[in-house]
Amino acid sequence: MIVDLLLMPAVIVILGAFVLPLIPEKLRSPAFLLFPLAALGVLWQLPDGYSLTVPFGSYELTPVFVDSLSRIFGTIFAMIAVIGGIYAFHLKDLGQQTSALVYGGGALGVTFAGDWFSLFIFWELMAVSSTYLIWARRTQETNEAGLRYLLVHIFGGGLLFSGILWHISQTGSITVESLPDAYTFSSVLILLGVAINSAIPPLHAWLADAYPKATVTGAVFMSAFTTKSAVYVLVRVFPGWDILIWFGVAMALYGVVYAVLANDIRQILAYHIISQVGYMVAGVGIGTEMALNGTTAHAFSHILYKSLLFMGAGAVLYSTGKSKLTELGGFASKMKAVVFLYMIGAFSISGFPLFNGFISKSMVVSSAGEAHLEVVMLLLILASVGTFLHTGLKLPYFTWFGESKSDITVGPIPFNMLVAMGIGAFFCTLFGVYPALLYQYLPYPVEYKPYTIYHLVEMIQILVFTYIGFWILRKKLEGDPKIALDTDWFYRKPAPTVRKLFVNVPNAVYGWFEDTVLGIARFLSEQFKNPMTWLNPFTSKENRAAGYSPAMEVVMSFVLLGFLIFAAVYFL
Amino acid sequence: MKTWHWIALGILTVISLVLEFVFLADYDSHWWNAIPGFYIYWGFLSCVVIIYVSKWLGKLFIFRSEEYYDR
Repeated sequence: MIVDLLLMPAVIVILGAFVLPLIPEKLRSPAFLLFPLAALGVLWQLPDGYSLTVPFGSYELTPVFVDSLSRIFGTIFAMIAVIGGIYAFHLKDLGQQTSALVYGGGALGVTFAGDWFSLFIFWELMAVSSTYLIWARRTQETNEAGLRYLLVHIFGGGLLFSGILWHISQTGSITVESLPDAYTFSSVLILLGVAINSAIPPLHAWLADAYPKATVTGAVFMSAFTTKSAVYVLVRVFPGWDILIWFGVAMALYGVVYAVLANDIRQILAYHIISQVGYMVAGVGIGTEMALNGTTAHAFSHILYKSLLFMGAGAVLYSTGKSKLTELGGFASKMKAVVFLYMIGAFSISGFPLFNGFISKSMVVSSAGEAHLEVVMLLLILASVGTFLHTGLKLPYFTWFGESKSDITVGPIPFNMLVAMGIGAFFCTLFGVYPALLYQYLPYPVEYKPYTIYHLVEMIQILVFTYIGFWILRKKLEGDPKIALDTDWFYRKPAPTVRKLFVNVPNAVYGWFEDTVLGIARFLSEQFKNPMTWLNPFTSKENRAAGYSPAMEVVMSFVLLGFLIFAAVYFL
Repeated sequence: MKTWHWIALGILTVISLVLEFVFLADYDSHWWNAIPGFYIYWGFLSCVVIIYVSKWLGKLFIFRSEEYYDR
C-alpha cells in the first residue's frame, strides 16, 4: 500500500522536491530531470483502468485512476517538466527547482485523481507552488503580482471546494465523473473554480498579469500546467456543456484582441494562451467524440509549442534584460538559433502544415463544422488568423527584425536553453509530420485526417493573406508603451480603498478602544496604588506601596483577589 | 518585403486556387464552400478587422499609461 502510494506519478515528482535539498548543488539539475522521467515511466507501466484506492474515514479515495484521457495529459505534463528542467539546467536556485517539482507533481496529481478530495489537494498544491515561480524574481512588482496570483487561485480553490462539498452532500459520490448539463449550485461552483484556472474571461486576468512577471524559467512551467490541468478537468467533468462553446469562442477572440494591445512579449504569449485555451474550451462545449479528441490533442500540442515560445521569449529577456516591443528590435543576427527555434513554435501555433498546430487545432475547428456550428467555426478561424498575426508575425518582427529601438546588449545564452528549445521544436515537428503518433493515444478512436487537399488549400490561403495584411498594416501593430486594462482592474484599482475600508478603519477603531481601556486601567492603578493618599492628603504621592518586585505584587494581588472573592461568597 | 517574396506568395496563392478548382468537390458541407477562394477573403478580412477593432477598443478605454496602477 505504502509502496503503491509512493509510486504514484504525482508523488514521485513531489518527492523530488524533498530529495533535491539533500544532494549537492552540482547534482541538483540532473537529478531534477530524473523525477518527471521516472513518473513518465511509471504512468506508462500502469494499465488502462488501473486504480489505487485508499480508505479515508468513511470514504474510499482514489488517488490514481488511469485511462487514455488521463494518460495522455499525464504524459505531456511529465514531458514538459523534463523539457522545462533542461531549460532551467543552469539555474542554481533550490527554491525554484523544488517549487517547479511540486507544481509538476500537482498537475500530475490532478490528472490522475479519481476522486474530488485528491483532486482538490493537488489543485491547491499547484496554486501554492507556482506562486513562488513569480516571487523568485524578488522585485516589488513581482511580489505584488505573485500575491494577486495566489489570492485569485485561493479564491478559485475555495469555489471549487465549496462546489465539491455541496456535490458530495447531494450525491454522496466523490468520484470525478462527468456532470449532467444542469445548473445546480454545486456544479456551477465547481465550474467557476475550474474556469478560474482555465482563464475563462472574465476570470482570466490573473494569467496575463502574472505570467509576464514570472522568472524566465518559471514561465515555461506555468504556461504548461495550470490552464491545461483545468482543461483536463473540463474534459472529464463538463463535456457537452453548451455554455462552454460560446465562452470558448469569446476566449479565443478576447486573447487575440488583447495580444494586439500588449507590449510585453511574454504578455502577448500569455494572451495567446487564453486564445488557444478558448479552442479547447469550445471543444469541450461541443462535446462530440471528435471535439473531445481535438481538445485533448490541442492541449497536447499547445503545451509543446507554447512552452517553446515562452522559452524563446525567455531567452530574449535573459540575454538582453528587456521584454518590451518598444525596447527591442534589430538583433536577429545575434541570436539566430533562438529565432529559428522560436519560429518553429510560431509556425506550429499558427497551424502551418507539417507542424503540430495543424493536426490539432483543425480538429477542434472541424468538429465545430461537423456539429453544424458554422458561426463558431468561422470565428475560430478568425481567431487563428490573429494567432498567426501576433505570435508568428508581430512578435518576431518587432522583437528581432525591424529597427532597433534602444541600446541592446545581447548577452550569451546558456547552451541548455537551446537544447530544451530544440527538443520542443523536434516534438512540434514530429507530431506535425506523423500525427498518428498522437492520434492513437487519444481518448476516442480517430477518423479525422488533417492532410486533405481542402484543408491545405484553406490554410495556404488564410496564412498567405494574413501575411499580406500584416505587411500592409504593420505600422499599426508596433508596440505602444502603454498597458492594457483588463478585468484585474476590478481588484487592483479599488485595492487601496478596500484596504482603507476593511483594514485601516477597523484598525483605527480597535486602536481607539485599546487606548481608552489601557488609559482607564492606568488611571485606576495609579489611584489604587496607595489608597492611603485618599485619607491623608499629606502622604507623599510618590510613595510606592512598598518596594516589592512586580512578581511579588502580582502574587499579592492574587492573594487579595482570592480573599475578596471568598469574603464575597461567604457573606452573600 | 522583396519582390521575390511577393512572387512566392503569388505562386502559393495560384497553387491553392488550382488545387481548389481541380480537387475540391465538397461544395455542400458549409455555405461558404461555394464561394471560390473564400479563405482568401476571410483571412485578409480577419487580419484587417482584428487590427482595427483592437486598436479602436484600445484607444476607446483600454490603454492606460504604464504607471497607472502605481499611482
